[in-house]
Amino acid sequence: MDNYNDDLYPLALLMDELKHDDVSNRVEAMQKLDNIAIALGPERTLKELLPFLNDVAQDDEEEVFAVLASKLGDFIPLIGGHEHCEPLIQILTILASMEEPIVRDKAIDSLNKIAEDLTKEEINGIFLTLIRSLSQGNWFSKKIASCGLYKAVIVRVNAPTRKDLLNLYLKLVTDDYPMVRRAAATNLPRIINLLTEFTEKNPSDSNKINNEDWEIISKMFQHLINDDQDSVKFLSIDVLIAILEFFQKIHETSFNSDFLTSALKLIKDESWRVRYTAADRFTKIAANFTSEESDLFQLIEPFIALMKDNEGEVRKAIAKQLPSFCQLLTKYPSSRTIVLTKIIPVVNELSQDAQDNVRASLASTITGLSPILERQATIDKLLPIFLVMLKDEFPDVRLNIISNLSVVDETIGINLLSTNLLPAITELAQDYKWRVRLAIIEYIPKLANQLGESFFNDELLSLCMSWLWDPVFAIRDAAVNNLKELTVIFGSNWANTEIINRLLNNDDKIDDDDKIDYSNFIIRITCLFAITKLIPVIDYPIIIKKVLPFINSLITDGVPNIRFNVAKSYLLLVQTFVANKNKLPVKDDELRKLVNLEILSNLEKLQNDEDVDVRFYSSKSIQGINELMA
Amino acid sequence: MDLDTDVPMEDVEDLKHNASESHSATGDATPSNNNTTNAHKKQDLNPTSVSQLDEWIDKLSKCEPLSEADVKRLCDMAIDVLQFEENVQPVQVPVTICGDVHGQFHDLIELFKIGGPCPDTNYLFMGDYVDRGYYSVETVSYLVCLKVRYPNRITILRGNHESRQITQVYGFYDECLRKYGSATVWKLFTDLFDYFPITALVDNKVFCLHGGLSPMIETIDQVRELNRIQEVPHEGPMCDLLWSDPDDRGGWGISPRGAGFTFGQDISEQFNHTNDLSLIARAHQLVMEGFSWSHQESVVTIFSAPNYCYRCGNQAAIMEVDEQHNRQFLQYDPSVRPGEPTVTRKTPDYFL
Repeated sequence: MDNYNDDLYPLALLMDELKHDDVSNRVEAMQKLDNIAIALGPERTLKELLPFLNDVAQDDEEEVFAVLASKLGDFIPLIGGHEHCEPLIQILTILASMEEPIVRDKAIDSLNKIAEDLTKEEINGIFLTLIRSLSQGNWFSKKIASCGLYKAVIVRVNAPTRKDLLNLYLKLVTDDYPMVRRAAATNLPRIINLLTEFTEKNPSDSNKINNEDWEIISKMFQHLINDDQDSVKFLSIDVLIAILEFFQKIHETSFNSDFLTSALKLIKDESWRVRYTAADRFTKIAANFTSEESDLFQLIEPFIALMKDNEGEVRKAIAKQLPSFCQLLTKYPSSRTIVLTKIIPVVNELSQDAQDNVRASLASTITGLSPILERQATIDKLLPIFLVMLKDEFPDVRLNIISNLSVVDETIGINLLSTNLLPAITELAQDYKWRVRLAIIEYIPKLANQLGESFFNDELLSLCMSWLWDPVFAIRDAAVNNLKELTVIFGSNWANTEIINRLLNNDDKIDDDDKIDYSNFIIRITCLFAITKLIPVIDYPIIIKKVLPFINSLITDGVPNIRFNVAKSYLLLVQTFVANKNKLPVKDDELRKLVNLEILSNLEKLQNDEDVDVRFYSSKSIQGINELMA
Repeated sequence: MDLDTDVPMEDVEDLKHNASESHSATGDATPSNNNTTNAHKKQDLNPTSVSQLDEWIDKLSKCEPLSEADVKRLCDMAIDVLQFEENVQPVQVPVTICGDVHGQFHDLIELFKIGGPCPDTNYLFMGDYVDRGYYSVETVSYLVCLKVRYPNRITILRGNHESRQITQVYGFYDECLRKYGSATVWKLFTDLFDYFPITALVDNKVFCLHGGLSPMIETIDQVRELNRIQEVPHEGPMCDLLWSDPDDRGGWGISPRGAGFTFGQDISEQFNHTNDLSLIARAHQLVMEGFSWSHQESVVTIFSAPNYCYRCGNQAAIMEVDEQHNRQFLQYDPSVRPGEPTVTRKTPDYFL
């Protein structure tokens, strides 16, 4: 008897917790459902747990149902295999027929997951019955649920059954309820794609897709593009793409002109949501018409019309398609003039669009046009637009142009680009938005690489130094990293004369007014960060002559934050020495002496500091150094 | 309800009715005044705690909340640190002073990008870490972790939202329930809030607190005499320090919030004079530029939650005070979170 109670315990516990007043407790209990099934074992899960859950699925709240629905998707192994699936499918059918979309979607997902484990017989038996009864259900939520299930069976049935199913689906596509038509339209592309894959893999299967099937699908599509609800109609664009992709795969182009007509009709639809979706998928649509020059060219005018659309969202979406669509056009050389004379002028208009987000969207893609236009046209047509957009009042526009300039480098060369853009860059270097300044800094090493040392020193160096004193930490931090990258490019001696001497006020050429004022904590710590960052990339004599004395001078700084960063810098110094051991101009024992005298002795002083963090970091550095020198 | 008046009067009336019952519920969390044990000097953290804390800080910086058990350990460690702080916690310069954060975790990360990471930069936060935003749990856990790991580098004061009653109304309680499935974490944090210092004094010159002055407090020494380790009371000096606002009208006024008072320029100037202060820095009110002067620069309001409640469109600010007591305000906008949709115009099912 005791033993029996023990066995029953997991189920009793679940039942108990599912009676809890608070929904969140019931949800939590449901989350443990798989554990309970494991504890019970397959047989009792099937005989005791599932009947119980069948009741639960009719008497609780949506949050609990949602968890139940998703948990059941993984239950096939827990009930001892697919041959026992029937009660599981029953529960999920109840959940899938609910009006709450979250529950319904989870249940449909789980049913699809279960279908993967079923045999052909089970699919044709229990699962088909389910789909048929849901499709002819008396309530819209059942029909919606059925729409999500066809994909589980459509390529696993024989040709006559498939035809039946497609006819049934056609009824859903033409249902009275827009919600049902929406669900049917949403799921249709997936079904078509499955049929496409099936045809591709089994070109000689006796059950392969036949013309009758396509006639039904084509009927569905015709209904969808003529639907009176735009929220249904816009879904037909994905259906169109799926159909077009099928015909591409089988190299069948005879229907292309019909489909082009449909595509054009959708692109010009009076509802902005339909036009938006068409704009958003424009290249995907156009990619299927590239085999005929005249077909593809018929899409140019509609493309331009979308760029001039009344709705900002549409213009924003089409701006994203610019480079990819123009890339498709390059297949036919004659398109070049059209791009230059027809599309670029509209791009120019779009670059001054009244809506911020449209310009920002264009800014993120427009640089992609330069490889398509090639060198001369980029210089003549695109550079002026870039310059205007770099001065745009909306920061995202400026940021998007700068962050995407590298693709322009490749076309026209950095020299030409930088001479043209240098004034704009200098201006943006002082932009009031720090993320714009940051984008410029991150672009500097690339420029430096191309410009050469003397041109860089004249034009950009002072800018690079000025970022060290930016009020925003992230900019100072980027400036410090930038100096390190520049040192990698221009070398240790350059860093010594151009950076270190300036930071340490060692340069005779500097006027007293321009000398750095160390009385401010942020300036001192930034100098320390900058010089520390350079340690791994500068030569040993400079480290000994300049860097080490500077760091030593800060061990008595009044601000603890500086002192514990000094402790961190010492560790990096020794790490660098050890890493370059073989290249150093000093012998091992000399180095040891230096580390002991100049570094460890100072760290020991810091180890007795009054501040806990200084003590912590100096102890940590001492420990690290001792390990390195051992 | 107005966004800048945290609690309209009727709410507080409500809370006052409940005061007696909720007080008995929280009474066990109120230990005896332990300011007397202050002489005891804290030892340095042991290495295990350090690596544990570093691990938590790392996890939280990705906006992943700690487990309930870890929150419990963190709060125990935090009590150990905070109980030895003073009602008027002394703070050294340089320091960066910040206002309300209100669970806007990503904007807190933005704040550290602007001001520099802790511990390299010293911080003083003036309360209101929780409520309103979606990430109160992560925000307060993160700040408390930093406090325990770097007690000398960061000071966290108590705001009027660091309270059992207010958090039940404005989101922190519900968030804890949602993220942990029970109120345990809420209980742990609200019990911890009792130990937060209520004011700070930066280099003897800048007096920092969440709300403002109290008619019952003339000198800073009087603040030092309060017993702060308790739930924020509904009236009295401790309540006022966390609830009051400066006002254009002179003298003391009745606060529209239903708790604390409004105080005029005469009051601020007198207080600064009596206590030899150069400035009162406080938070508590939404200001569109992120900071705002009042009373001819004797009071400054700092607010560090940009686009407050994700819709107010305000800038945020922090104030850097350097070794020479120069002040610099840094303003900033909401953080950029990539992947978030800019515009969504979907029609829900039921519109069809």
